[in-house]
Amino acid sequence: MAQILLRNFARAGNAALLTKSSNSSSILATSAEPGNCQLHTTPACCEIRKLARLRVVDNSDLGKRAMAEGRPPRCIHVYNKRGIGLIGDKVLVAIKGQMKKGILVGLKQKQRMKQPQFDSNNLVLIDDNGSPLGTRIHVPIPTVLRTILKEKTLAKGADYTKVLAIASRYV
Amino acid sequence: MLRTVLSDLARLRLSGGACSVTQVREKGHLSRPRLRNPYWFIRQQRLQTDDQVTGENRSFIKEVIHDTYGTPALIKGVQTYEQKQLIKTDEAPISTEPWTPNVRRCGLIARKIGQYPLWLKNGERIRTTLLQVVDNHVIKYIPPEEYKPTHQPNVKNLNRYGCVLVGAESTNPALLTKEYCGIFRDSGVMPTKNLARFIVSPQAALRPGTPLNVGHFRVGEFVDVRGKTVYHGFQGVVKRHGFKGMPASHGVTKTHRRPGNIGGGGEKGRVWPGTKLPGHMGNRWRISKGLRIWRINTKYNVMWVQGSAVPGSTNGLVYIYDTILPLRKPQEAPPLPTLYEQPEDEAPDDIWYEQVHNFKDETISFKPE
Amino acid sequence: MNINVRILTKSVAQQYAFKRIVTFSTKPTQQAAAAAVPQQQEVTGSTVRRPIVPAHYRFVYPEFLPDPKVEWRNTIREKLERLDMLDRRRQIELPEFYVGSILAVTSSDPHAAGKTSRFVGICIHRERCGLRARFILRNVIDHQGIEVVYELYDPTIQKVEVLRLEKRLDDSLFYLRDALPEYSTFDENMEVESLEEGAPVPVNDIKVVLRPRPWLERWERQNLLGVANIEQYIKDKHRKSSEKAQKPWEKYDLMKQYRATIPEEEQKEIFAEVHTELHTLELQRKRNKRKRTFVKPKHLA
Repeated sequence: MAQILLRNFARAGNAALLTKSSNSSSILATSAEPGNCQLHTTPACCEIRKLARLRVVDNSDLGKRAMAEGRPPRCIHVYNKRGIGLIGDKVLVAIKGQMKKGILVGLKQKQRMKQPQFDSNNLVLIDDNGSPLGTRIHVPIPTVLRTILKEKTLAKGADYTKVLAIASRYV
Repeated sequence: MLRTVLSDLARLRLSGGACSVTQVREKGHLSRPRLRNPYWFIRQQRLQTDDQVTGENRSFIKEVIHDTYGTPALIKGVQTYEQKQLIKTDEAPISTEPWTPNVRRCGLIARKIGQYPLWLKNGERIRTTLLQVVDNHVIKYIPPEEYKPTHQPNVKNLNRYGCVLVGAESTNPALLTKEYCGIFRDSGVMPTKNLARFIVSPQAALRPGTPLNVGHFRVGEFVDVRGKTVYHGFQGVVKRHGFKGMPASHGVTKTHRRPGNIGGGGEKGRVWPGTKLPGHMGNRWRISKGLRIWRINTKYNVMWVQGSAVPGSTNGLVYIYDTILPLRKPQEAPPLPTLYEQPEDEAPDDIWYEQVHNFKDETISFKPE
Repeated sequence: MNINVRILTKSVAQQYAFKRIVTFSTKPTQQAAAAAVPQQQEVTGSTVRRPIVPAHYRFVYPEFLPDPKVEWRNTIREKLERLDMLDRRRQIELPEFYVGSILAVTSSDPHAAGKTSRFVGICIHRERCGLRARFILRNVIDHQGIEVVYELYDPTIQKVEVLRLEKRLDDSLFYLRDALPEYSTFDENMEVESLEEGAPVPVNDIKVVLRPRPWLERWERQNLLGVANIEQYIKDKHRKSSEKAQKPWEKYDLMKQYRATIPEEEQKEIFAEVHTELHTLELQRKRNKRKRTFVKPKHLA
C-alpha cells in the first residue's frame, strides 16, 4: 500500500516537473495551453518523407493556428518520384484535420555548397493553383527557390512564383 | 594407374644398366595448343644475392650505367635517367598516312596521383582525378604481319593492327634479370619497371625510343582509363554487392549480414550462375570510359580527368587509351602518331579546357539579365 | 552521495579531457605563437639568410597541409594543388580566421536578384585540406537558424571579410545548433572590429547555454569546454555511458597522433615552399589597406 502511494507521489512529482519544464520552455518555443500541448520528444526529421513534421512559416490563419497549438502539419505525400522532398518540392500535408498542399522552402537536410541549410523544415501552404494561403513569409528563403519554382511553373502549369512574391527575405 | 606405374618401375629395374626409355606421357595431354604468354612476360627481378662485389666494382657498375644511359635526373617530376641517346624527334615517323576516325593510336602508362576539384566558368564544381604520365618510351613496334598473339585480344580485325610495346619508369638494370633487359636491347631504352602493349593501326606506328608525353592527348578530348581496382579481400555480401543485411534485433539470430535466400526450388532448384554471393572484392581490371580531359600540365606531365572514380588506388598504375565510345571520338585529327615535343618549344605549362575556370583568372561573377 | 559522485565524475572527465587530434585545432596556437616570436627575433639576429617560416603559419593557413593519410599522399599532386591555391590567393584576399570568428562572405549567386549574395555568420567548423578546404557559417536570421557551407577556394566567392577575429574554447562549435538562438545571432550590418597589429588572437571564453533535450549529438561525451549547462540535462545513465565512451588512453597513443598529423619537418618543407609568396601577398594587402585608409580623407576634402 505504502509502495503504491509512494509511486503515485513520485508520478505526481514527475508530472509537476514536466509541466514546470514545459512552462519554462514555452518562453522559447511556441507552445500554448499546457493541457492541450503535445510534447514531441523526438527531433525533427532530417528528410521530408511521409509523416515528417513540418513548420508552417507563412502567416496563413490555418498555419498559424496549427503551429500555435503545437500540432504541426505532417507530410502525407511528396509530389515527386523519389518520395523524399527536396527544396521547392510540392507536398501534401495533414494540418488540423484537413489536407492542404504546400511548398518546401527550407530544409534541415544537408544542402549543396553555398545553399543554406535551415534549423527546421519550412513549409508554405498553397492552394491547388499554386497561390499561397498567407500573405507573408516571416523567415528567409533560399535564393535557389527562385530558379526552381520558375522552372516548375513552366513545366507543371500551376503558377508557383506567387510564393516568391510574398517572401520577405532571401538568403 | 598404380599398376602401370609399378610395372614401369619393374621394367626399369629389369632393364638395369641398359638405357631403355619408357614413354610415361600419353598423347592428348600435352600436344594440345598451348597459350603462350607474350615474350615480354618474363621474370623481372633478379634474385638479389649478397655477392661479394667490392665497393670499387660497385661504383664501376654505376659508372657504366651512367655512361650508357646518362646520369640520374628529375624529368617532368619523375625520377629517371637523362637518356640523351633517345631523342629522335627529327626522325620521321614510320608512316605518313593521314588520320582517319578508324585509326587506333597508342596509349600511355600513367599513375593516378590523387584527385581534387576544379570549377567551370559557370561556377559549377567538378571532381577531377590527376593522372601523371610516368616517363613513357616506346620499346618496340610489331607490324601487323608479325603480330600473331596466342592470347587473342578482343579487337575486331586483329590482323590489320600492329602492336606497340611501351615501357614506363626507367630503373637500374643491375636489379633486373638478363632476359628482361634483353627486351630493351634493340630499342636503346633503359630497362623499365612497367611494360604495356597497345594495339595500333600501322599509321600510328612509333619508332622505338620515342618518348611519349601527355601532349599525346589534347584538352577536351575523351579517354578511357584502365586500372586494377582496389583489393578488398574476401568480402561479404553487404560490402561487396550493397545488400541490406537483416535487422539487428527482433528475433534475428546469426543472420545480420548474410544474403538470405539465394534461389528458388523445383525446376530452378540450384544456385543460378551469376548469383551475388560473398567472394573476392576488387583487384579486377576495370575500364572507366569516356572521361573528359579538363586540363593538362606539360611541366609535370599531368592530366586532369573527369570524375573521382578512376579504377585503382592513389599512386597505382593506370593505362590511358583513346575512347572507344562512338559519340565521344575526336572529330579533328589528334597528334598522329604522337606529339613530338621540341625542347625549345615555349608551350604554356598549363593548358585549360575552355569551360574550366583558370585559377589565375578573376573571380567568377554573373551578369544580371 | 550523489553530489560526491558528480564531483568525482567531473574531475575524472577533466582529467581525461583529451583533445581530439584535429589538423585545424586552434588550441595550441597561443603557445606556438608565443614560442614563435622569440625564435624569429633570434633568427633575424643571426646570419641565416634562408627565409624562416613563422610557426603560426600552420594555424593561419591550415589548408596548405595535405591530408595525413599515407595512402593518399603524392608530392606532385600536393605541389600542383598548392600552386593552384596560391594562384587563387593572388586574386582574392582570404584572410586569417578561426573557428569562432565572425565572417561575412560575398559570393556570386546566379539565382539572386543582384547576382551576389552576402552571408554573415560565425564560423562553426573548418575542415578538409587543399582546394577542398571549407568552412561552415551559422547565423540566426528572423529567428531562423541558418547554416551555409562555403569552400575557401571556390572562384565564385568574391570577398571574405573577417568582422571579428577571435577563437572559442572548442575546435568545432556544432553545439550552437542546440544552444539558445541568441548565442548564434549576429547582426548582418556588423562593422569590422579591427585588432591591433601583432596582438595575439583573443580567445572568447563564452559559455553557451544549451536547450533541453533532445539534442542532435551526445554533447556530454565530447568534453566540451564552451558549454555551461550540460550537467543540468544529463542523467546518471548518460554520465555512465559517456564515461564508458571516453578514450583516455588515446593521449598516450603516439602512433595515432603520428598518423593523424603531418610531421613537423614536412610542415616546414611545405611552408618554406609557399612562405615567400604568402608573405609578399600579406605585405601587399597591408600596403593596399593603408593606401585605402589614406585616400579616404582626400575624397572628403
